[in-house]
Amino acid sequence: MATQTLKSSPTLKPATATRPARATSARTRPGPGSLARAADTTLGRAVIQLLAVAAFFLAWEVAVRAGWLTEFLVGAPSGIGRVFLASLLDGSLPVDTWYTVIEAIIGFLIGTLLGSVAGLGLWYSAFVARLVEPFIVAINSVPKIALAPIVILWFGTGFVSKVALAVSLTALVALIAAYQAARDADPDLQALLASMGASKNRIFKSVIVPSTLPAIIGMFRINIGFALVGAVVGEFISSQRGLGHLIYAASSLYDLNTVWVGLFVLMFVGFLLYHVIDFAERRILPWRQVTTAGQVQV
Amino acid sequence: MTASSVQLSLDSIRKSFPGKGGSVPVLDGLSFDIFERDFVSIIGPSGCGKTTVFNVIAGLLEPDSGTMTFRGEVVSGLQGRVGYMMQKDLLFPWRTVLQNVMLGLEMKGVDRAQALDTAREYLSTFGLSGFENAYPKMLSGGMRQRTALIRTLIMDPDILLLDEPFSALDYQTRLYLEGVLLDAVETFHKTVVLVTHDIDEAVALSKRVVVLGNRPTTVKSVHEIGLDARSPIGARSDPRFSDYFQTLCGELEIQTRQRAA
Repeated sequence: MATQTLKSSPTLKPATATRPARATSARTRPGPGSLARAADTTLGRAVIQLLAVAAFFLAWEVAVRAGWLTEFLVGAPSGIGRVFLASLLDGSLPVDTWYTVIEAIIGFLIGTLLGSVAGLGLWYSAFVARLVEPFIVAINSVPKIALAPIVILWFGTGFVSKVALAVSLTALVALIAAYQAARDADPDLQALLASMGASKNRIFKSVIVPSTLPAIIGMFRINIGFALVGAVVGEFISSQRGLGHLIYAASSLYDLNTVWVGLFVLMFVGFLLYHVIDFAERRILPWRQVTTAGQVQV
Repeated sequence: MTASSVQLSLDSIRKSFPGKGGSVPVLDGLSFDIFERDFVSIIGPSGCGKTTVFNVIAGLLEPDSGTMTFRGEVVSGLQGRVGYMMQKDLLFPWRTVLQNVMLGLEMKGVDRAQALDTAREYLSTFGLSGFENAYPKMLSGGMRQRTALIRTLIMDPDILLLDEPFSALDYQTRLYLEGVLLDAVETFHKTVVLVTHDIDEAVALSKRVVVLGNRPTTVKSVHEIGLDARSPIGARSDPRFSDYFQTLCGELEIQTRQRAA
């Protein structure tokens, strides 16, 4: 939305206007660093990144085949590929992935929502906030993973316990982030609205919520990772399905290739979810994308 | 001067703040009147409590004692009746220029379509057409402050409360915006209370200047400014400008030797 505004107004220049010029000048003027400048485009970077990954796997495969590394202990890319294809085709990998992803996403949504609402709610009463602060700090200082055995006892070995673990890992992070952001909201903006006769609810809606959104969405990135941790650790301890179960079961059988499949799929899932949040952020916070480089004078 | 009826009257306003060694008195029985369509500047030595006066009038601070009378009626604060502007533009970064300007109308519960029309009209009057959808970050300091001024005016407040609104701007932008302010005040028949540390600005813009003393503060004196020119440059070019300027400097006990040097 922001870039459309920039383009439609002739007096405003997009901040990226100098990019193509730099790329062409690099081609005409060879010298140190000119290759890096020419390659610094989305496509250029992607090619280099893919080459690096390919080189890594190639080196790994060569090292195993040459006998420098033992496949039994580190696995091998060819074996990983075979396991990946087989488990993909027999449907077990999609099922495991689906379980873990759904556990993490539901846990993330519940934990983040509960935490954010509670954290923002604390803005309403400094008294209550001061009252509960030591409890929050105390609970937060417990490594939540240590709760996993109890959570399994309470919620069983199925789906619910994994979600509960993800919630326990994300809720307090969300609460603290939301509360801190609400406390940091510009008091002058709140005073301005108060002088216009705005109620506390109105100030909450018009100042607190929008000004905390960047911090809250920033916290989403951290929490999506924590939710995956919760789901996977829950599966480690006790489960019949999921990527955590896959990894745990395979490692006890020294099936390193399967362990790697589970890890790479987890990495891919985390990567994907991170970018979903990134995309959402750009949609929800268009005003954050604006740079002062497009600034205009009176 | 036609502005003879009192609009806002402050009577023996006292306010102290809790400090390390007990409470620190800041306002010590402050009394002065503001007339209808007045332009009053409040100046005083640094730290004398100018902003406290501002906050009391705005209704953001409750005085310990004393009364405020607005058009004959005792009031505790002027929430909803004042529009205020500070050195910080206080634009909402997540709102576009248009949405920022509409803020006050939303608070008043004005119908959205009507609020949009009014906002566009004001933006066009103040030369900000074409920037409706820009975010504040994209604008220069002067344009942001102009947007803040429009946001203040559009609410049609009885009194404009300004706390050093132009002090963060460069001198040319400042002269320009002072002109915009004076024109707007004439057009919309507003009363203005300007809190400033800038004697030059106070003389150039005001009809009257209230000088505050050191803390704990009382009103030291009130000066009528009789410059005819109603423009920031015209006023500064008036031969009487420097007399007023020197008198007020004397009131504030600014070292005269430094000026002679």
